[in-house]
Formats: sequence, structure tokens, C-alpha cells
Amino acid sequence: MTANLADPAVTPEELRRPADGPPEPRAARWRWPLTPKMFIVAGVAAAIGYLALVPLGYLIWGTFFDAQGLDLGSFERAYGDGRMGELWGNSLAFAGGAALLSITVGTTLAYLNVRTAVPFKALFFAASIVPLIVPGILYTVSWIFLASPQIGLLNAFLEPILGTAPFNIFTIWGMIWVEGLHSSPIVFLLMVAAFRSMDPSLEESALMSGATRLQTLRKVTLPLVRPALLSSILVILITSLESFEVPALLGLQNGIYVFTSRIYFVLRSYPQDLGAAGALAVSLLAVAVIGVAVTRLLAGKGSKTYQTVTGKGFRPRPLDLGKWKPVVGVGILFYFFVTVVGPLLVLLYAALLPFYQAPSWEAISSFTLDNFAQVFEMNSAARALKNSLILGIGAATIVMGLMAIAAWISVRSTIPGRGIVEQLSFVPLVIPGIVLGLSISFVYLRFPLPIYGTILILLIAYCTKYMPYGMRYASTSMTQISSELEESAMVSGASWWTTFRRVLLPLLSPGITAGFIYILVVSFRELSSSILLYSPGNEVLSILIWEQFENGSFNVLAAIGVLMVLALMFMVTVAYKLGAKVGLRED
Amino acid sequence: MLRIDNLVKSFGGEKSRGKKKTASSAAVFAVNNVSFEVKEGELFTLLGPSGCGKTTTLRSIAGLEKPDSGTISVGDRVMFSSTGRGRTVNMPANKRGLGMVFQSYAIWPHMTVFDNVAFPLQVRERSDRPSKKVIAEKVERVLATMQLSEQSGRQATKLSGGQQQRLALARALVIEPPLLLLDEPLSNLDAKLRESLRYELKRLQRELGITSVYVTHDQVEALALSTQIAVMERGGVVQLGKPRDIYEQPANKFVAEFIGTSNFIPGTVASQRAGRHCVETSNGILYLESASQLPVGSEVVVSIRPEAVELSTTARGEQVANEWQGTVVTRAFLGDAVDHVVAVGEHEVRARVNPSVSIESGTSVYLQLDPSKISLVPVN
Amino acid sequence: MRMPRTLARTALAAGAVMVLAACGGNPTAAPAGDAGGPEASGPTEAEQLYEEIAGLSGQERRDRLVELAAEEDGLNLYTSMNADMVDAVTEAFEDEFDIEPSVYRAGSETVLQRILQEQEAGFPGNDVVETNATELMALQQEDVMAQCASPERMEEVPEAGKYEDWVATRFNLFAPSWNTNIISDPPEVWEDLADPKYDGQLALELGDYDWYMALTDYWLEQGKSQEEVDQLWADIVDGAKVVKGHTVMGELMSAGQYGLASSNYTYIVEAMKASGAPLETQPYVNPVIARPNGGSCMKTAQNPATAMLFMDWLLTEGQEVLAAAEATPSTAEIETEIVAVDGQKLLDEGSEWSQRYDDLLSGVEQVSD
Repeated sequence: MTANLADPAVTPEELRRPADGPPEPRAARWRWPLTPKMFIVAGVAAAIGYLALVPLGYLIWGTFFDAQGLDLGSFERAYGDGRMGELWGNSLAFAGGAALLSITVGTTLAYLNVRTAVPFKALFFAASIVPLIVPGILYTVSWIFLASPQIGLLNAFLEPILGTAPFNIFTIWGMIWVEGLHSSPIVFLLMVAAFRSMDPSLEESALMSGATRLQTLRKVTLPLVRPALLSSILVILITSLESFEVPALLGLQNGIYVFTSRIYFVLRSYPQDLGAAGALAVSLLAVAVIGVAVTRLLAGKGSKTYQTVTGKGFRPRPLDLGKWKPVVGVGILFYFFVTVVGPLLVLLYAALLPFYQAPSWEAISSFTLDNFAQVFEMNSAARALKNSLILGIGAATIVMGLMAIAAWISVRSTIPGRGIVEQLSFVPLVIPGIVLGLSISFVYLRFPLPIYGTILILLIAYCTKYMPYGMRYASTSMTQISSELEESAMVSGASWWTTFRRVLLPLLSPGITAGFIYILVVSFRELSSSILLYSPGNEVLSILIWEQFENGSFNVLAAIGVLMVLALMFMVTVAYKLGAKVGLRED
Repeated sequence: MLRIDNLVKSFGGEKSRGKKKTASSAAVFAVNNVSFEVKEGELFTLLGPSGCGKTTTLRSIAGLEKPDSGTISVGDRVMFSSTGRGRTVNMPANKRGLGMVFQSYAIWPHMTVFDNVAFPLQVRERSDRPSKKVIAEKVERVLATMQLSEQSGRQATKLSGGQQQRLALARALVIEPPLLLLDEPLSNLDAKLRESLRYELKRLQRELGITSVYVTHDQVEALALSTQIAVMERGGVVQLGKPRDIYEQPANKFVAEFIGTSNFIPGTVASQRAGRHCVETSNGILYLESASQLPVGSEVVVSIRPEAVELSTTARGEQVANEWQGTVVTRAFLGDAVDHVVAVGEHEVRARVNPSVSIESGTSVYLQLDPSKISLVPVN
Repeated sequence: MRMPRTLARTALAAGAVMVLAACGGNPTAAPAGDAGGPEASGPTEAEQLYEEIAGLSGQERRDRLVELAAEEDGLNLYTSMNADMVDAVTEAFEDEFDIEPSVYRAGSETVLQRILQEQEAGFPGNDVVETNATELMALQQEDVMAQCASPERMEEVPEAGKYEDWVATRFNLFAPSWNTNIISDPPEVWEDLADPKYDGQLALELGDYDWYMALTDYWLEQGKSQEEVDQLWADIVDGAKVVKGHTVMGELMSAGQYGLASSNYTYIVEAMKASGAPLETQPYVNPVIARPNGGSCMKTAQNPATAMLFMDWLLTEGQEVLAAAEATPSTAEIETEIVAVDGQKLLDEGSEWSQRYDDLLSGVEQVSD
């Protein structure tokens, strides 16, 4: 019976009185008891609204209005370029391909890691984090060193055997490859959380019904994780559409121009045409809003069936891979090599050289630790590391805290308009970093409190920028927790806040931990808004990296990259250990 | 103990979630004007098929749904009261102090068995919260009652199905609630376990004397456990009474059909005096006794439980009030009984008899129908 | 339906902070010339000080500035110098005067954006700015800087480095550079870049439209027709690769991805060469295209005397420090012929040239591969 009528999602607030019933007096209807729940919910909604509306308002205002009033000329300036069609075409092919690759790879790995007795499990951890840590520019350049037709190491190894250089990274396929690999950890982290909270008996019952493993995967497993899958697709599509490092370094060599190169040119000129940049960003916004709506529609259909963390305990039993084990093992080693070992080796190699040169005995004999020494000698390095740590941990904590509650509002609550919270949390995804930085400095230069020029303004920028990712992680986890777990706590006498703290938060912890780690890691490489907003004394690591890049000290930069990978790996391990302590224990 | 008056709860329909609702006709009444009272110590069952409103009623008592109007009170505490106008009393679920067992048990997978049970005590208001020692004592005591003492330190998810069910019960009982709500607590278990837990539950309920409201769609469960049953259909209570009364005197065809199996034969009241009815059916006259005194000429349906039918290969004639002749169509051995389907005229009558009686199909038989066990179901 | 209102109110409240904060004007309508700065009502304190000191020269000027600077609170410098250079400069300045400058470092466009934002909001963030010509021209147009360099020192700066509100402190030299392992016969004049022998070996930088503009103008001045110039560019782009960023340009060339870079900064190439990379940029192709980088004091400077002292110092002792950091100081003699990028023209026609350069480069696809 319980199906529809008992659905807790149909709400007290939504109830309607019988047709013949007299209308309730207004005063009574508008009353809302002053409870801590109300304060928290309203506070979180306000915080998200504020964080999202500041850059959005700035963007829309700048795009549609000028000193004289409404002005649509910015669209003409932005789209007036005759090559716009080609730019969009390249962009979509690139973003679509990268999304396809990262979704396939990330989901497969997450599934293998969580649900099967896969070999080399320890490698996943590194494979899921390292590409996130390495700044995009380093990652891309290391791929040039690996697979360029002229200087690629892989080509150098394979050319004598095959007679021809098999790889060319300077093609749309190369771009898709690098971007897809670089994004696959996001998908991996999102999907791990989803698979982890799925009852294996759902799959086992499919196997028992005579379905093959593949059929089970296609007909049971994937539909069950659909909300997480859709979220990931959306996030990757939009980030790839916005990505510039990869298309700039790989595409331009052969004249493959993308949509974002327009934003680049538009923002470079003076007087800066924010209107035109905005017009471009607004179309991304439209794509994102449609995407969120479609996601909600698809995921919302029978969302009850997706609540897979129920109060009926399950023991995750890893599926035995049988004869596929060696095949999968080789696949994983391959992935580990291409995402971690290859690029990291190139980085380490570059970090040990005084200048980049093709590998040879001569090159190896010139190995030096000078680059590392130079990093440790930098005056600002320690301070930048400290600031980055404070900002990374601060932003990750604040965002995941806010988003855990926001996810409750959006997924579980019955508050009308809850969808808006989710939509708002998504907004910063489509705002170019520089526009975000400009809007934040615009507001806080005029803010009564002294936030401008302090580290706080960077914290605000980071919180805004990573809010969409936090929301993805939190809401994906939230959809999968059965509402009965929450209700049983309420009936046991726990207040809303206690329920949230003691029941929901621990159950969300796989998702929250994944989100926390993601934000911590990526905030270390945030540059586009940091560079505008930092002040002397508030430098962060990414600025240091950028400075080395500007100096032409590519090898010092590689040394910083190596050190960052080591430091963040350590921190991420700690975060996982802590996360596992409070959360759902794994076998 | 629990009193519900004129409870009404409607939904705007699942589809229009979050959208503005316009036409009032879109409203679906999940619960429509339900009233009943549960006395101290009773196990009161809400029985009905999917969508009948039984779970919504239970959730309204728990405070998980907000009804449109009506009154819910437990003892002298008003949990909910709204006349549809003016001030509404709606105590939040966490202030009601009731115990509830959910269909999925809703055991928190991140806590140990002990922590699950201790939770309701730990989350009490500080002023009202027992000391750690007292909590531990109470938890151990209730775990002992549920035979879970040995599992106390284990992760809740490591328990077997039956253990999880007892854990859910322990958690609901640890605060010694005035009222225990059970939402299909046995539906997730296999048949054998279900049966043993059914009696376990009954024994516990009677021993503890705890007033309980039990929701199920399984009539066997309802009949076996309940002191009172309210049969619900489409948001309303169609019959309220003791299990035996409901079984033997179903108020209408729906109840008769829903509670066990029954033979239905249409007819017309030929004569009636002081509840002794004479009903004319296509198979002949049936004599029966019924509290409802229907006027001559009423269209009725006669409900005959299979176990009220006796079979014999020879006619008993004047010794019995009602005797029909028919032919055995098929039979099925049930272990503790044998079911025969007998063709009588244009009807097929199911007879459930002692396993010592087993008659081959095709045999001509006589059916004896006990007048005191035949019930009259009025046709609207 | 009570929540939507509540939510709406929340949103409104959040929005209100922004709107209140923003009533200064439309963010995008601001830049063009009308100078919304706070100095509209007459000269600022800083300007009065610049005026007062302007009459002094030599040691007297230096002593007075040191004296006044002692009463001020440090120095805020916004610059696009690279880290090594700025570290050398600030350390030397501190050694000399015991004043440690606070430095904000970013790309030149970002420095410009930051100053514009701050000035518009009336926030006096910096005392001195030191950045590229294009951005300085924009700031000059915004009327937020005041010329504060000593006239004696300015005499040493070539004409191409003197502007109304600012003065060049160093030049960024654009010159072809090559990998000595790959290119045995480097180009001697700019026209050589069009030679088919460099097809597949030449790389152009995505953002060097200022170099493109300067070289085009130079060729036209040399008497070439527009058609000839266009043909030259078409031949250069034919068979060329495009890279983004001068560092990547040098790095990939040292790795052998291509052999010849059309327009790298000489200081990047020199630095890489110093660490042993097989790169060379000399003998320079004639003429070297020079883009002035300069500095000036802000009208809203909170530490105007220190700002002036810094500019004076940067044009005297500071010049050696810049030279030591692989920069080309503005007062130094340069052995080769120099063509300076026209700052004013860059400001007026920059976006047009940027678009043209972009179009030129994206034509690459038709010929490569």
C-alpha cells in the first residue's frame, strides 16, 4: 500500500482542504513556528542565495544593461563572430567526448572499486586523486611530452616498433583524451558514493532472475544510480564547455578553436567587454538550467525507488569477477599508468632537470635537486601553503556543511520552492572565474565590513565557486537515504537538528567526505578568481605556481607540482580516515 | 487511550508536487472522516488493501503526516486538533513520545545495536534525560527482553532479519511509550519467521500490556494478533470489531472477501422473523440467523465461509437445516484440511473439511450449511 | 503556499545587499573615460605633494622624499613584473631605504581590472602601479595616475617610453628565438619568418597582437604595400603552430616540439638559456619590437612620498637591479634597432587588432595538416 499516499514527500504544507471547507484565516496560514530548524533552513537558503546571486546579478546586470538601460548589443558583440557556429560545434564535440570518456571511465572504476573483488584496489585511491591535484596546465603539458608526434615519449618508444608515431595529442581526440582523463576523478568520486550506498541484493536478485552480469549492470545497477550519473554528466559537460587550458594548449596548434576562446579574447581587451563575456556565459547558464531541470525530471521520476540506503541492513558483498579478473586487472593497471604514473613521471622528470629535454643519458646525468631547493627557498612558499590549507579546509567544511542541509531542503523537505535552492547552488558553475572574481571584489569593495583585502574574500570566492560540486555530492547521497531512517529518529523523540546531526550526517558521510576531498584538492589550484582577490600576505599556492609559470620556470613549477601531489595525498588520506570514522563502516 | 475523531487527510496528488494546485477535484482523500478509539492494553489493527489509508492514519498518529482536520489524542494529551478553521494543534512527531516500528525497520546502519536502542533516550531534553548509567541499564533490559543482549555491541547491519525486527521493536519500546505504532512490521520476513514472530509479538504485547496500533494488509496476521480490527477501504473504516465478529459477520462483500475466502450466493429474503431469515437462492431455500433484520423482498448476498460447509456422500435430510446436492469438481490437500470445490447448480461452493474426509472429484455429494455460520451481506 | 514568500524574501534580502552595495553604477558601463574617481573635486593630497616635490631635483629631492617617506606607512605596489624581478626590486629598495613594499602581483590585465574596481569604489589600494603599456594607457585615460618621476631621470628614457601620466621603466623585447639543435640558419630579418623553410617549425603566440600590430606598422612604414604585408603574414602563418603563453612557447621549443618561436620575450629565452636549454635569441632580428613597461604614482596614493621615492629609485639605482633580473631597463642603451609598440594606438585600436590577429591565426587550420 504505502506507495503514493504514504509518501512523506507529499507534504503537510501541500495538503488541501476539501472543496467545501471554508478557507483558513490568513493569519493562521502564514504562521511558521520559530524553531531552530527554521533558522537553519532559512539561514542556509539565504547563504546559498547570497553566494549565487552576487555573481549572477553582476553577470546579468552587466550583460543586459548599460548606463542607458536595457541593452542587447552585448549579444551581438559576443555572437557577431562569423565562426560562432564552428566554435560551438568544436566545443560540443570536445565537451561531449570528454564527458562520455570520463563518465565511462569514472563509473566503471567506481563500480569495480565498490562492488567487485577487483585486484589492485589500493591504486584506485591514487588514481582518483592525482589528476585532480596536478594543475590543468601541468597535466596537459605532461601529455604533450608523452604523446606529441614530435617529442612524445610514447611515440619515441613505439615508433621503432610500429614504424610510425601512433599518437597525436594535438587533435580533437587528444583533447578529449586529456580532458576526459582529467575529469574522470570527479565522476569516480561522485559514483563511488552512489554505489557504496546501494543494496547489493538488488543486483543479486537480478542475477538470480537469470540476467547476465552485463544485463544486470544495464537494467538494474545503472538505473539505480541514475541520479548520480545524471549529475555527473551535467557537471562534466559544463566544466568541459568552460575548460580552456586543454583546448588552448592542444587545440590551437592545429587551429581547433572552442567557445571559451571567445571568452578569452573578449575578456582580454580594454575596455573590458563584460557584457559580451556575460552574453557568452548566459548561454552556458541556459544550458545548465535546462540540464538541472532535465536531471530533476529524470531523477524525480519515482525517486522513492532510488532510496537504497534503507534501515534494513545490508552487507556489501563484493562480486567475484571470475575469469574477467585478469582482464580487469590489466585494465586498471593501464588506467593507473595513464592517469597517474605517466604524467607524474613526466613531472618528476621535469622537476629534476634544469630545463626540459628529451630523455637521454645526458639528460639523466644532469639531474639536480635545484628546483626543489628553489621551492623551499621561496619566502612566500610557507605562507602560501598555510593560506591554501586554511582556505581549502575552510571552504570544503563550509560548503559541505551548507550543502548537506541544502541537499536536505532540496531532496527531502516539503518546502515549496525547494527546487530553487538546488538551481541557485548550481549557478556558479557557469560563471567564468574572472567574472566571479570581479563581482566579488565589486561587492566587497563597497561592503561596510572590512572583508576586501583579507583572506575572507578568498574564502567567499572559493565557497561560491565550489558550491555546485558540494551540492552534487551531498544531494546524490541524500537521494539514497530512505526517509524512514529520518522518520524513525523523529518518532524516537529527536529534534530535527539532532536527527540531522546524528542520523543523516553520518549516513551522508561517504558523499560528504568525497565532496570535502574534492573541494580541498581543487581549491589548491584555483587561480582565476584568486589572482584578482588576493592581497599581499594572502598569497595562495596557485598564485605561486602561476608566478613560476610566468617566470618561465617550468621545471620549478614541476617541482611544486610534485610536492603538491605528495602533500595532498597525505591530507586526503587523513580526510578519508576521519570520514570513515564517523560514517557508514565498510567491510 | 487513543482516540481519533473525524480524521481527514487529502493529497493534492503525487503528480502536482510542488506545482500550484488549482482544481479542488484533484484532491484525493487518503483518509476520509475516520474515527475510532483504542482502549488501554489493546492491540488495534488497521487492516486493508494498498491505498486504503491505513498507513496514512498511522503516520498521522505518529505525527509524520499533518491531517487536514480531525482530532487525535493519546490519553489526555491532544496530539492533533483542527476543525479546519481557527487554531490548529499539531504536536511535532518528536514531542509525541510514541514508539514506532517501521516497515523497513529503519535501523540506523551506522550505529551499533546498543546505540540504536539508546538513541531515543539520548535525544531527550537535557532536563529529562536519564544518566548514562540509567540509559545503559534500560537498554540492556530491553535488549534482554528481545533476546538481543549478545548482539549489543555489534553493528546493526550485521543482524539477521528477525534480529533486526526485534531490534526495531526494542528501540520503539525503550522509552516505554504509552502507545506503540507498528507499520507492517512483519512484511519483510519470510513466512516461517513471520509466523513465529507473530506469536512472539502477541505474547510481548500482552505481557507488557502496551497499547498498540498495528497496520497490515495480511488478514491472517490481523485475525491472529488483534483485540480489535478496523477494516479500511478507500480512506474510510468499513467495519470495526473483534476479529471473530468481523470474520463471521462481515459488514459487506468487501470485508467478507478481504477477510479470508468466502462463498457468495445472491438471493432474496423470502421471510424473516426475529433475525431468522429464509433466503431464496437459485439453488434452493437457505435458512440462516443474522442480527440484521432485513425486510422481506430485500436483495442480499449470502456469505458462507468454506469451513462452515460440511460434506457427506449421503443425504442427512431433515436432520439439518440446509442441505444442497452437488458434484465435486476438484480438491486440494492443505495439510490441516482438505479443500473441495463442489458444483451446485450454477454456483461453485468451496468447502474446507477435516483431512480425514477426502472425496474424489466427480463424486456426487451433499453439502450441509450451518445456519448460525452463514452471514447476510446486504446489497446496497 | 507560505514558503515561496519566505524564500523570495530571503532572496530579496540577499539581493538587496548587492544592489545597495552597487548603486555606484553599472559595472560594465564604468571604464570609458569619464573618470569616476574621487579626485573630481580638485587635486588630492597626493597630487599636491607631487606638485610640491616636482620643483626639487638631485640630492635635495631624494633627501626630502626620504624624510617624508619616514612618516608614511610603507608602500603598496601593484605590478605585473614577474616574481624574480619583483623580489629583486623590492629587496634592493628595502636595503636602500628600509621600507618593505607590499606587492600585489598579477597579469597586466588583472592589475588593470583590480585598480579600476578599487578606484571606482573609492578604495585607495595602491600607491604605485608598474605594468604594461596597454594597461597604463588605459589608466591614463581613466585619469587616476599622476606623473611623478623626476624630470632628470625622464630625460634618459627614449621618446617611445614617455607618456603624459607615466614613464617606461623597462622594455619587453619581442624577438624570434630558436632551438639551436634544430635550426641551423636562424632568421635575420622579420620577413624571413615567411620563408617556407620554417614551415612546420615556426610557432606563434596566441596573445601577441601587440607585436602583430607593431610589426605590421613597421612594414607599412618601410614602404611595403598593404597587400605585401598581408601576403607576408599569410606566408608566416602558413605551416605555423599556435601556442598559448610565452613560457609554454619556450618550454616546448626547448623540448623540440618546434624549432622557431616568432615572438618570445627575450628575458624568458635568456633565463632558459642560462639554465642550459639549447635556445638562442641573438643575434637579434632587426629591428627588435619593444613594448614599454612603465610605472606611475596614483592620485589617491596614501603614501605619496614613498611612491615618488620608489619611482625615482626605479629609474636610477633600480635600473641596474632590473638589468640584473634579465630585463631591459628603459634608460639603458640598446645596441640594436628598436621599434616601440605604440601605447596610444594599442589602447585605441587594441580590440580591433586582437580580433584581426585572432582571425589570422584561426586561418591556420586551412593550411596545417
